[in-house]
Parts: sequence; C-alpha cells; structure tokens
Amino acid sequence: MAVLKVSLSPQAYRGKKWVDWCPGCGNFGILAAESQAFAELGLDPKRVVVVSGIGCSSRMPDFLNVGGVHTLHGRAIPYAMGVKLADPGLEVVVNGGDGDLLGIGVGHFVSAGRYNVDMTIILHNNGVYGLTKGQASPTLPRNVKTKALPKPNIKDALNPIVLALASGYTFVARSYAYDTRHLKEVIKAAIRHKGLALVDVLQPCPTYNDINTKEWYEKRIRKLEDEKWDPVVKDPKEADEKLVKAIERARKPMDEEIPIGIFYQNEFVPTYGERVASRIGNYFELPPAKQIIEHDGESLTLIDKILEKRRVV
Amino acid sequence: MTVKITWMIGGAQGSGVDTSASIFGNAVARAGYYIYGNREYHSNIKGRHSYFNLTISDVKMHSLSDEVNILATFDAETVFQHFMEARDYIIYDKTLEGTKISTVQSMEPERAEKIEKLLTSNGYGTTIKDALNYASSKGVKLVPVDYGKIISEVATELKLPTSVVERARNLIASAVSLRLLGIKLDYLRAALRVFFRNELYVRMNERASEKSYDLVQSAYNLPEIPVNGHRVQLDGNTAVALGKIAGGLRVQTYYPITPAADESTFIEDNEVVDVLDPETKELKKAGVLVFQSEDELSAVNMAIGAALTGVRAATATSGPGFSLMAEGIGWAGMNEAPVVVTYYMRGAPSTGMPTRGQQGDLLFAVNVSHGEFPRIVIASGDHVEAFWDAIWALNLAERYQTPVIHLVDKFLANSYSIIDESELDYKGKKIIDRGKLMYKEVEDYKRFQFTDDGISPRVPLGYAIMHYSGDEHNEYGIITEESENRIKMYEKRLKKLETADREIPEEQRLRVYGKDSDIAIVTWGSPKGPAIDAMDELASEGINVQVIQVKMFNPYPRNLIRKLLEGKKMIINLEANYTAQAAQLMKLNAGVEPTHYVLKWNGRPITRTEVKWAIKHILSNPNERRVVLNGGA
Repeated sequence: MAVLKVSLSPQAYRGKKWVDWCPGCGNFGILAAESQAFAELGLDPKRVVVVSGIGCSSRMPDFLNVGGVHTLHGRAIPYAMGVKLADPGLEVVVNGGDGDLLGIGVGHFVSAGRYNVDMTIILHNNGVYGLTKGQASPTLPRNVKTKALPKPNIKDALNPIVLALASGYTFVARSYAYDTRHLKEVIKAAIRHKGLALVDVLQPCPTYNDINTKEWYEKRIRKLEDEKWDPVVKDPKEADEKLVKAIERARKPMDEEIPIGIFYQNEFVPTYGERVASRIGNYFELPPAKQIIEHDGESLTLIDKILEKRRVV
Repeated sequence: MTVKITWMIGGAQGSGVDTSASIFGNAVARAGYYIYGNREYHSNIKGRHSYFNLTISDVKMHSLSDEVNILATFDAETVFQHFMEARDYIIYDKTLEGTKISTVQSMEPERAEKIEKLLTSNGYGTTIKDALNYASSKGVKLVPVDYGKIISEVATELKLPTSVVERARNLIASAVSLRLLGIKLDYLRAALRVFFRNELYVRMNERASEKSYDLVQSAYNLPEIPVNGHRVQLDGNTAVALGKIAGGLRVQTYYPITPAADESTFIEDNEVVDVLDPETKELKKAGVLVFQSEDELSAVNMAIGAALTGVRAATATSGPGFSLMAEGIGWAGMNEAPVVVTYYMRGAPSTGMPTRGQQGDLLFAVNVSHGEFPRIVIASGDHVEAFWDAIWALNLAERYQTPVIHLVDKFLANSYSIIDESELDYKGKKIIDRGKLMYKEVEDYKRFQFTDDGISPRVPLGYAIMHYSGDEHNEYGIITEESENRIKMYEKRLKKLETADREIPEEQRLRVYGKDSDIAIVTWGSPKGPAIDAMDELASEGINVQVIQVKMFNPYPRNLIRKLLEGKKMIINLEANYTAQAAQLMKLNAGVEPTHYVLKWNGRPITRTEVKWAIKHILSNPNERRVVLNGGA
C-alpha cells in the first residue's frame, strides 16, 4: 500500500457529478464503501488512481474525487499496471464489471495473476451487461433466464474466486454491495495487501437481473469470519494447502449458500515491483516516473558504454 | 569511389549464416571499410534457405546489389539458389559437386523447377557441377573447399567431436572470402571474440579459419583504410533501441513478434543505464522498465497508462500487433497521451510473410483507429535516421500530446551497417523536448484546458486530481456530451495537428539527395538507400536523377514537395508495396501525382541494381507507367 497521510471525510472523495445509475443499483453501495475505505486509510486523493473499463460500473472514476482513468472495454488492468509500474508510489484501484473483466478482458485478468502487481481489483459482479440492456455476462449460470434474455442462458458461468486463485492472485475476497460495512473492510484489507488483490462484489441489478435479487442474495449469504475461516498464509509452506482449501470452499454452487469474506491471502509471493527491484536496484527510490531525463534540453542518459560493446574500430 | 564489393553467404536456417555474416562484416569493418548487410530468411525454425547479402565499400553505402562478387556457400541449396548472381568467385564444398537439384528437399518446388529449367535450357544437367559450369562460362572463378577435411583436422587437433566442429563450417567460407579480399586474419580473430563468449567456440572457429585462410591467394588486395574516430556495427532494432534510451525512454512494453522483438530484448539487456546528475555531473544508475505483456492489447495500453505518469513510454510491434493496438491508439488520441509505437512493417496482409519485408501499412498507420484525432507518423530510411527518429518520435509525442507512429521496415530491422559514432553523438545538443509537461502540484487542474495552440499544460498523475476518459469529456476530463463542449474539445484535439504543421519545418519532414534534375525519384523508408546509391551510379553513367525521401506523413510536407516537384519531367515513385501508398498520400496532401511507379511486393529488399535498371527502363520506355520488381531468392 502506498503512503498514508491525509485525514478527510468520505464525502471529500466523492465527485460533484450527478450519479446516473438506476435507483437501487449495487454500484451505489460500492461507491460508498470504496470512498469510506479511502477515507479510513487516509489516502491522499491526488495519489489515488482509480482505473476502470467500460460499463455501468466503469463510470466510477467520474463519481470520485481522486485520480480517475476511464479506459477501454476490458483493458483497465493493463492501464492500471502501466500506471503502477511507472510510479509505484501511487495507490491503484481497478473498478470493472463482470463483462469487462471476465468477458472481453479475461486474458488480462488471468495474466495479472502471474505478475502480482501491488494493486486492487474490485469486480462489480451482477451477472448481466447492464449498459447494453441486460445480456448474459460470464458469471450468469446456465439455464438461468433473466428478464432481458430471449431464452435461458446457454453458457456456463465462471467462478471469479476460483479463477483468481488458480491464476495466482495473492489476495482473494468476496463481498456484497448492500453490506457496505463488510465491503468497506474487505476493500481496506485488499488495499493494504502487498500484492494483487481481487474483491469480487456481488451486486444486484434491479433493472436487468430479476433472478439474483437483494432477497435472493440475503437468503444465501454467510460470512467466512463466522466459521473461523483463516485465510492468511503465515508460512510459505502452508500456501498450497490454504490455496486448495480456498478453492474447495469457493467452488460450491451459489444456489445453496454464498460465503463472503477473505478466502486467501499470501504476502510471501514477491510483487512485480520487488522482482524488478531485484534487477534494477534503485527501482523503488527512482522509479521510471521519477527520473529526470533532461537538463535544458540535453539528454542525461549516456549510451557510450553500450556503443563500446558494438565498436569495430 | 574505388571499392564496392558484394559478398553473399547462404545456408540452411540454424547453420550460423547470420552469425558468420556479422562476424565477417565486423572483420572487414576493422580494415576501415563500410558495410551494409541484409539478412533474408524463411518463417521457419530450422532448415530453410537463408542468406546474407552485403556491400563492402570505402564510402558509406545503404543498399545491396544483385551482382554478387563473392558467393560463399557451404551447402548445396545456396549454390543452386544464387549461382546466376555470382560475378567473380563461388566458394563451394567440393564434395557436393554431384548433388542433384531434385535431391535438395528444403527447396520450394516452384523455385527448384525454375532453376532446373534455366540449367537445362542452356544445355546443362542439374547437378552442382552443372550450376558451377554455368557460372564458370560467364567468367566466374570456382573455389572448391574440402570442408569435411578441415573440420576433421580441427576436431582431431582440439580433441572435439566433429559434430561440434561442424558449427565452424560457415566460418570456413568466411575465412576464405576474407583472404580473397586481402584482409588480415587478425581482424577475424578479433571479431570472433565479439560474438562468441565461450572460449572453446572461439578456439575452434579460429583454428578452422586459420586452416581455410591459407587455401587461396588474395585477389582483391584491399588496402587498409585509416579511420578517424570510432565506428559501430548496428542493426535497425538496435539503432531504435539506442535512440529510445538516449531519448529518455523509461517504460517499454511489447509482445513478441518478428521483426520487432529484438528491439525490446536489447533494451531489457541494457535496462540499467548511465545517467548524469545535472548538478553534480556524477554518473548514476537508473532503470528502464521493459515489460513483456500477455498480448499487444496489453502492451499498448500499459504503455499509455505509464505515459499518464509523465514517463516516456513506448511499445514496438509489427502488423498483426499493430492491428490489435488500434483501439488503444485511439484512446491515447482522445486522452492526449504521449505514446510512441515503433512499427516494423513486414510482409502482409494477415500473417503474410512474417520474416520478409514490405511497406504495405503506411495508409493503415496514417488512419489507424476509428474517428478523427491527430496521429503523427514518421518513417526512417536508414540506421542513423532510425536512431534520431526514435528520439524525435518521443519529442513529438510529448510536445503535441498525441500518439506517434514511427515506421521502420523489416529491411532496416534485420540489416546492419557500420556507422561512425560521430553520427550518433548528441553531447551538448538539445535533443529532448518535453513540451508543456510540468512536475508541480496543481489545484483545480484542468487536464484538457482550452488553449490557442490546442495543447494543454500537462501534469503527471499523482500531482493533481485529474480525470481521463475515452468518452468525450470537458476540460477536467469529466464525461459530457454537451454540444458546445463537443465542438470545442474536438477542435482542440485536431488543432494540435495544425500547430505541429506550423511548427515543424517542412525541411525536417523530407530529405533531398543529389543535384536538381528533371527526373525525381520520390521514395520513403528503406528504399531510400538503393535510390541514393543508384542515383550515384547513374550519375557516373551520365544519367542525373534527384531523390526525395518523405520522412513525415502526418502532418505532410505538402508545400515543399509541391515546390520541389514543380516542372519535373518525370516523377518516379519508388516503394515496396502494390498500391503505391506514399504516392496516394502525396496526391491527397500535395495534389501531385507521379508519372511513373516502381513497385515491389515479393518480400525481398529493393536493390540498387533494380533501381538502376528500372530508371533506365523507364527512360527508354516512357509509356510504361508501372514497373514491378521481383529480385531476390
């Protein structure tokens, strides 16, 4: 996690723009919890960068008074990695929908697990493509017919928690958009985590998903903390065992019960920045974005030694 | 010019053709000569025919010739593929004399048939001996070498298995060539140490070279030429990489693709760079982050993300990768993000001919991504230009806060030349322009503030609260579809191209070579090399042409080119594609049309021999408006 320094109210992290989500949308809960988390962590709004893709949830940066980068459909993760690796002093959070991160952007979602860049991904998971009027998203189960679908969904759902665990994410959690207290705490833990964190946020879509409603979720949600679940790897040797357990716990069909909370956390895996620093010794002190490259137009970088190796006379 | 010699070596891919050509060129350069060499190879892993053609000269040249003075071979296929190009010497493996063309399996059947026909129609059989006799009848001298004998002698002497010493086969051909030229063996010894770190390999190649060197007598007796200052051997990928490093690049992303990837791996190999402290003048270390991403979508968008933090960021790719990058480049245009894409064009469409060259993507680069936004497009014509243009691209991107596409082609990427270090010297020169970038904290910051020139003061992420969006936005970067803002913001972005057009002297956007003449060759990219070399050779035959090389396609140097081409009797367009794309842009921007077209799209480089032939052909057949070249194996 990047520098802590300011003391501001959650309201100070909210933008001035009128929020144009549908009444009752789970995004409101996520917006509230995220801004509260920023406030409680004391993050400097200038040094927070929220990166999003395309979709209802990806409008998030416009509603926040922090650095905001609203990018292309599916590409929030690469943009966020570019920002974080160039300037590791920034606190980088990705907000994206299930269609964005697990449909068009799933290649980046999986690959990110191999890199373990120190940032947080908040997945707005509502089972539908809201902005294009309710088509099935990658998390909608087979045979479910939400109201905008002409026929029941013919494809299987993927499980974001299991996918993240299998891909190498070092912090994997699930929360619920209408439980902002729980969500805020999970987001705080995710931001504090050293490494790549996923927060899968279950989120009703009152306009297009008439199956996974508030009532449907609230009947099934169970908190992991109530069952004395310990997600934290305390010794590298127990990483495998905890990972397998987490996958087992997360893979049960959601029809019966839905566990929320932190499934797995392992800080023993070096972050991408740490891996770079093992090759470029002063990477954290002098990251790419902080280097001075010219003085009065003259380049400060010398290539003489490289040329010498290529010299013929 | 007194010395101009073409040398060619060929062999199966994976048999060290590339390495031996680099070592050979390195050795010749040590005697004070310039080299321009190009590698041609198949898109395969091992076994297909690859060859290296190089020009040795005492004055710098930038092109290849189809008339090969020394053809160095150590397998059968190279003899069959190239005997008709040989002019002075063919070095060959004498144990292969009886080999028939029909038994060379790696050869493409269409090509084998064509060569068989050439031999039989001239009354020859189809063996190596026949091909050599054909060459001999044209005055070519034959140099038989018993490769097997030399290899087994070295193996015995160094107590190594012959399977290991086999790898020195290519060096034997190079050493014989070196003796023919009359260049000292010591230079080959020194060159070996540049390319082989393993002492055993050095020793083995050294012994093989020594034994081969004495097989012939010098024929060309090239004198040593004293050299002032230093010279380096650079290929196109390395020249661009060095330019980027010198130009302050600090983040490079890429996804592996031919022929672009070597640029990124070179930067990674040199990721810790020397940087001067501006105050203390002390030398310090700093890092360049090179990231190999999961695909080109990630590569371009990561680079753009990095650019938002104020870092100089770029990616390098070829056609298929650039296609995937299109959407990201549009985002960078919409968000006024300075990103550089180095685009190594290769044989297209689709996967096309991945290891061959072409200039078929110019119009794509100029129009990449949907919608209207400023795309700055520049193209390099040789290795020194590639170095300086890499720096220029970084400057243009930051000054005009927009994506810059730097076009380089495969013919530059995979060719190398010997360059005077003074040509790359930037000490004491103002080579970096960061435009309106400020490193200071700003309250109530408008990232997209309206200004007269369309360019807004730029502050990196972290210094102010700011918003970026691919959607239309207001001065703060907040999404809005309000009509008046749309008109102004749209105009602001495009106005930057007008600003660039006003600020960048047209003289920097094109180059003119040679004296005024009523015949002009208009070209761009690597064909500039054969064009200017052909120009010199034609002049000695009493034919005067002028060469105009366009370096920037957007914004286009329309006034200058119009002025230069006014009243010309002949305007000959020269480029490596089918649809004469640069000519289309010239017509669109300057309203000038060529009178003649010389085009080539078989994937092989345009040679000076071809350009000379084409010009003479047009002069004697002025009604033939379109000449198509097809040289190269």
